[in-house]
Amino acid sequence: MNLLELKVGERIEYTGAMIVMRDAAQRRIQKLLKEGSSLPVDLQGTIVFYAGPTRVVDGRFAIGPTTSERMDKYLKMLFELGVMATVGKGKRSDMAKELCREYRRIYFVAPSGAAAALAEHVESIKLLAFEDLGTEAMYEIWVKNFPLIVAIDSAGNDIFIFSQTLPNGGRNA
Amino acid sequence: MKPSLVSHEEVVERISRKLIEANNTLRQEILQQLLSYDGPFSDVLRRNAEVAKSKDLPLCQDTGFVEFFIFTPPNVVFEKPIQEICDEAVFKAYSSKPYRFSIVSDPLYQRRNTQTNTPSICHVFHWNREKVQIRFLIKGGGSENLTTLFMLSPTSGEEELIDKLVAHVYMHGSKGCPPLRIGVGIGGSADKALLLSKLALTYAFDEEIPYPRYVELEEKALKKLNELRIGFQGLGIGPTAFSVRILHFPVHIANLPVAVSFDCYLSRMGVVEFEPVRIESW
Repeated sequence: MNLLELKVGERIEYTGAMIVMRDAAQRRIQKLLKEGSSLPVDLQGTIVFYAGPTRVVDGRFAIGPTTSERMDKYLKMLFELGVMATVGKGKRSDMAKELCREYRRIYFVAPSGAAAALAEHVESIKLLAFEDLGTEAMYEIWVKNFPLIVAIDSAGNDIFIFSQTLPNGGRNA
Repeated sequence: MKPSLVSHEEVVERISRKLIEANNTLRQEILQQLLSYDGPFSDVLRRNAEVAKSKDLPLCQDTGFVEFFIFTPPNVVFEKPIQEICDEAVFKAYSSKPYRFSIVSDPLYQRRNTQTNTPSICHVFHWNREKVQIRFLIKGGGSENLTTLFMLSPTSGEEELIDKLVAHVYMHGSKGCPPLRIGVGIGGSADKALLLSKLALTYAFDEEIPYPRYVELEEKALKKLNELRIGFQGLGIGPTAFSVRILHFPVHIANLPVAVSFDCYLSRMGVVEFEPVRIESW
């Protein structure tokens, strides 16, 4: 399956690896890059899942997407590092759409508020870096049939534009 | 009025149990809404409610911060500061289950995880009833980021209020895990309005307010919001909001603060009541 050919609104069941990280880890990566330091993880060709899992208790945990728009300021950085696609929840800024178009990258939404069901699709979770950040550390997960919907495709089409129109047709009410 | 006691052990025990229930079990009134939804991801959302309940897992990985509203008669003693009691209840629940510790301190610089999911947020009110009532919200960070405050002009009316609310939800609603429950606080002061908007989120759908004009406003606002067609997950199908609940308070002649708080579709909350025991020898 070529991810980049998927169109907005398509649902897939993804099997493979994802890199889990959110606000704090991306902030740290940005800092490392600014200092000219090397990164703990090669992100080339990866899918980044914006998420912070629960603690693991008796081998059980839950995981699900967080709001993607907060990560928009790091999106260009991720694409420059070779990230293929991002996964989160909610609509993103116009800048994010433009970046997806420019770099030909995809943004998926995963179901939010569904962390118990999603955890059943996660076969393994491994800490990769930034352990001190706790739930905000970087993890690698392997997932099976993980439900995703294309929210921004590589042409920059956005699912949230199609689903939302003000009754008066205006955007500046 | 003789002094009465509510034992802190009872509060910790019963609140921690209720916190686990709220994190793991979808409330009946929300489950019914979910069962009538058949749009994108409806299969996963339904399965989630089943898996969370049967496997003792949280419905959402963001097990939130906990905000408490404690209503107590003025003659009740709790033996410990209420903040400590609430934090003990939170830690007991959150350390025993696969929940997330999401609280960092300090907020601006270190942002180091407290590893307890505390402190919680506690608001204490005195009232004239005999029981102690503790209401709580388990509040995810995503929906909390949607909170807003409009300092309207005192001559503004209902229409402007609704327009502002609708425009805000249009811009941001999809990021708060809709369908949303919306709490509105009108009047008081900026901070009082915000507090009322949060308290409004602790009301169940059938728990009405005794002010017909405000109930009417709730209905009008809800109708307008649902015309936005934001829907479950922000993907356009199903309601934008389940409910709008408005609480109000007297206000200064120059002011009309309107605060709006949002809760995600999981609507994780609870109400627990305690019978104070008379203290005979004091």
